[in-house]
Amino acid sequence: MKKVHIIGLGIIAVAIGIIISMASDYSSYETFSSAKLKTGKDFQIVGTLDKTHELEYDAEKDPNYFSFVLKDKNSEACKVVFHGAKPQDFERSESIVLTGRMNGDFFDASHILMKCPSKYKNDKLDINNYQEVDATPKS
Amino acid sequence: MVFENELRWPGIIGQLFVLTVFVSSILSAITYFISAQSKNEIIQISWKKVARMLFGVQAISVLGIVITLYYIIHEHRFEYHYAWEHSSMQLPMQYLLACFWEGQEGSFLLWMFWNMVLGAFLIFRAGNKWEAPVLSIFMGVQCFLSSMLLGIYFWDYKVGSTPFSLLREVMVGAPIFQRVDYLSFIKDGNGLNPLLQNYWMVIHPPILFLGFASTLVPFAYAMAALWKKDYGGWIDSVTPWTLFSGAILGTGIMMGGAWAYESLTFGGYWAWDPVENASLVPWLILVGGIHTMLAYKKTGHSLRSTFLFYLLSFILVLYSTFLTRSGILGNSSVHAFTDLGMSGHLVFYLIALAVPAIILLILNWKKIPAPVKEEAMASREFWIFVGAGILFISAFQITLYTSIPVYKGLIHSLTGVEIAPPTEPIQTYNSYQLPVAVLILLLSSFALYLKFKKSEMKQFYRRMIFISVITIFSTIAIAWIGDLTYPTYFALLFASVFSIVSNLYYMGIILKGKHRLYGPALAHFGFGIFLLGVLISSANKHTISLNYRGVDYGERMNNLELHTNQFMPKNSREKMGSYYATYIGDSTSEPNHYYKVLFELMDTTSNEVKEKFVLHPNAQINPKMGLISNPATRHYWDRDVYTHVTTVPEKNNDAKTEEEKFTEHQIAKGDTIFTSKSYVILESVEKVDKTEKVKLVEGDLCVGAKLHVYPMDGNDYVAEPLYLIQGGVATPINDKVDELGLIFRLTKILPDQNKVQIDIAEVKPEQDYIVMKAIVFPFINLVWLGIILCVAGFLVSLLRVFQKKKPAIKNVESV
Repeated sequence: MKKVHIIGLGIIAVAIGIIISMASDYSSYETFSSAKLKTGKDFQIVGTLDKTHELEYDAEKDPNYFSFVLKDKNSEACKVVFHGAKPQDFERSESIVLTGRMNGDFFDASHILMKCPSKYKNDKLDINNYQEVDATPKS
Repeated sequence: MVFENELRWPGIIGQLFVLTVFVSSILSAITYFISAQSKNEIIQISWKKVARMLFGVQAISVLGIVITLYYIIHEHRFEYHYAWEHSSMQLPMQYLLACFWEGQEGSFLLWMFWNMVLGAFLIFRAGNKWEAPVLSIFMGVQCFLSSMLLGIYFWDYKVGSTPFSLLREVMVGAPIFQRVDYLSFIKDGNGLNPLLQNYWMVIHPPILFLGFASTLVPFAYAMAALWKKDYGGWIDSVTPWTLFSGAILGTGIMMGGAWAYESLTFGGYWAWDPVENASLVPWLILVGGIHTMLAYKKTGHSLRSTFLFYLLSFILVLYSTFLTRSGILGNSSVHAFTDLGMSGHLVFYLIALAVPAIILLILNWKKIPAPVKEEAMASREFWIFVGAGILFISAFQITLYTSIPVYKGLIHSLTGVEIAPPTEPIQTYNSYQLPVAVLILLLSSFALYLKFKKSEMKQFYRRMIFISVITIFSTIAIAWIGDLTYPTYFALLFASVFSIVSNLYYMGIILKGKHRLYGPALAHFGFGIFLLGVLISSANKHTISLNYRGVDYGERMNNLELHTNQFMPKNSREKMGSYYATYIGDSTSEPNHYYKVLFELMDTTSNEVKEKFVLHPNAQINPKMGLISNPATRHYWDRDVYTHVTTVPEKNNDAKTEEEKFTEHQIAKGDTIFTSKSYVILESVEKVDKTEKVKLVEGDLCVGAKLHVYPMDGNDYVAEPLYLIQGGVATPINDKVDELGLIFRLTKILPDQNKVQIDIAEVKPEQDYIVMKAIVFPFINLVWLGIILCVAGFLVSLLRVFQKKKPAIKNVESV
């Protein structure tokens, strides 16, 4: 066997090794109920903000404590604590992707990714503005 | 229906240009193909003439699209969806270019433009033999790209998305478009995404897309070579192109990093974001190809892998286009494009180019010549091959992890597990890429000391020992001074210092000032500096905005990572690392809101202010997107102090204060009203002729009550609520003292009693504060310096390729 072939096989072996290591330690999307079963590991949870609960953030008291309630895709609600500043316009988010782990009865989020309705697509005409203007020619 | 003021001709012309590009590029590809297939020289030449002419038509039409679209944006023709969506009236001139490529269509256009320019150069430079096959592939790709702009329905399937569609065609069904004069209501466009309103957006995309477009050159050559079965003849012709591509794509990628660092708030220049990864992978593969190509040129080895690498590099560019534009990354990246319904089209495009390339390569694999004699272990070509293999593994790991959103559906249906992208991407990718970096650093250092084919090992060992000794001492010194004792860091530190020392030694002592040959060593030296900068700036990066105010959460207070946002009330001097920082006020310059933060560096012994500077981290409170924060950074030669605003108080809006309870007070001049924290004296009631709060016209009557407000702290405020009678209707206009949370309203004027009725509401006083983050990045300038040197290395090599055609210089191997 040529050296080049040995290297080639080595590359393939390493690549397989990477796949195996990924398969044994991947992160996954979970729900609150499944995350509760696997404490001590980080997960990602996709959900929406539960607007029936107040957001808790008081910069003066602690600028690194932000808490809210998230409903996961099974509509299970759970308190979330994020140790950072409250993202502006959080209330308007359409969906939220959290990274973190269960910590007792709340979810300890290390990262928040939120999707806002108009953040990356501007597909809505400003109809309010239009109606306002629209009224004038008639009068 | 004829719509008023709608300007149709630019759209029609633009669309015609798109069609012309599509048709002329496909015809040019076919005619070039016929010319390439023909054995008869006369037929070859005559078809080539036709193909060139068609190329010319294509080139003019691409320019035509560019000019028409620019015209539409520049003239603010908001009847066109593209102009409406990406630009606005207030947008400064320089950003008109940026909104040109903000959208998908525009960025495809940019890509097409570069393809056209590169194609034109190729016609002149490719030479008689390669022009026809190479340009045939080039024009085929151009045809694919232009199809992305077609926006035409073939039966039920829409192919591409045209930048020339009208707003009313896109927003079908909106009632406004029932009106003939709908355009008179559309006064302004949506505007450029505020995140993108900075100079990086003007310069970064053109360079990155030139980089992407240029990877097509080695791909087209490799395909042409497999097709014409001339396996080695293309290498000399393609060499300068690959070096060019490596330099430009590398610059483009790192410009993205610099942009992120300068104006986004990741707190770094590289976050292993899928979009970043997708552009890095083709570059890694391209660099692998450049090295195996070099080995082939000197020894005849590694030709097959050169083919593989060059074909893969462009296929991976296509794949990255698919990743970033199909919307598939939606949940995992913030800066991917949204889906324009092109994913099917993109997949087709990817398969249509990748499958023939792979089949051609497999069919020809055995026929591609390779020397019977093996590489010697003590030869440069052997270690180049090893290095290219390591780059391949690096690219494989990044692709595997970045592509999780692509195959997670498959995994889910097979195993029921919903696999997600890494929760901590930086740690995950680093754990694989750190060993890669160490190996590449070592290889790129010692391989230069080996010669092609056969080396004299005694001298090699002598030099290696010498360099290692210097490296060990320097590494220990740096680790000790810089506090970098963590074992993995130590390995990377050793490898980068080794690379720096050995490449410097190589340039200085071995090449003895023959700077034309500096290219490889300079690029490797730059890579070493770069990784040293990466290591020091990230290992020793520290947050200085640590919040010790507020509630003590017990143990959590010990975990510094959990309180990295500092609360900064206005005019309060807060300790921030070795600085004192004071938030001293804000100013607005539309659309940006600047927060002024004064930093004072204290001398530790005398306790006097050693240095003072003001940073202006800004934020846009954008009605559409909320708070968009831009960092402000103080650059020192040996460190950066990087700051950004994370939260500001939400301003009480009027709707909220309306709900507040007003108390009524009927008072005369000189009377006093007591509020919970202050007393208010009515100074006078006067007719007002001019006020900032409302525009007064002839016939209006406006009366103001001048109030003096005295809180307990000895300050003194003035408020003047107004009473306006306009066209027979009376309206009170409130005034506020935000600092005290008081709202005043002049509700009634009672002339018979010589009194007025003042209503006062008390709300929670509006606080002025910011919450900010400040991070010190030590020696981050090494990162930028390293990149610049690395790119310079590519350029020196490129120059050398051109010079080589003139009288030969003494070869590297002979040293």
